[in-house]
Amino acid sequence: MPTASITLTSADIAGDPVNVSKTSTCYKADSTTPLDQTNGLQRLILTTASAKEIYTAENAAEGLGLNANAKVFIRNASTVTTEFITVTINATVIGKLYAGQWLFMPWSQNDTAADIKVTASAAGKSMPIEHMLMHEGYFNA
Amino acid sequence: MATVTAGITLTSAAGDLLTDALSLSDSTSVTATHTTGLARTKIDKTAVHADADVIFTASSYAAPAYLYLKNTQTTASHYIYIYDGTTSGDPVLLKLAGGDFAFLPINAGLTLKAYGSTADFILEHTVFGTSA
Repeated sequence: MPTASITLTSADIAGDPVNVSKTSTCYKADSTTPLDQTNGLQRLILTTASAKEIYTAENAAEGLGLNANAKVFIRNASTVTTEFITVTINATVIGKLYAGQWLFMPWSQNDTAADIKVTASAAGKSMPIEHMLMHEGYFNA
Repeated sequence: MATVTAGITLTSAAGDLLTDALSLSDSTSVTATHTTGLARTKIDKTAVHADADVIFTASSYAAPAYLYLKNTQTTASHYIYIYDGTTSGDPVLLKLAGGDFAFLPINAGLTLKAYGSTADFILEHTVFGTSA
């Protein structure tokens, strides 16, 4: 079954070391049945500063992915430290991923506007982005 | 400046998620000077509310800062919702099932709040970054 593990460590952020380690099995919504679909680890090159929709929330009328469970991994694979991508969900900017940084979060498509988009920090770059979705049900790639 | 190293591993045995085994690992270092510390908060509201528990207060950290969240519930249907308490309509950004965690950058301009599908679920959370 798909599992996600995270470690957070720091020897110097506080007086005592930080050492967090958690593992989570990736289940379907409201169940202990593992997620059984993925779109694979995808890679794209952002060359403009326009928002690029990487995951589209399902149409509620179709009753497909709404409130289904999914896990999203996004990595800014750039090696240029000043290059970042802005990640939005539900049209809200959740943050910026700088070169080499990643995020991992659940995505439940809790409403039909919960699209996930990434925007490069500047046009005229060749900014590589890697992303992967593990999910249940259907989704619009 | 202190350094926080965040690692992620996504795995799945052959025949589970895919016919072949999945093994994805990544690590990133975050330069930070401040942290909220690893906190455990009992989430007492069950819907958007003016007094909902605040996970991050807008402008308390400069961008970029990073947020770690862990829903400590052990039942999958015990959800904790993280919503944007700054924007009109209070849009939900994350829905953490029991056992779920998340690690993501945060928009320093947003106040993030939480509510649960039932009261008194426990959320672990911390922020790393540079104090604003």
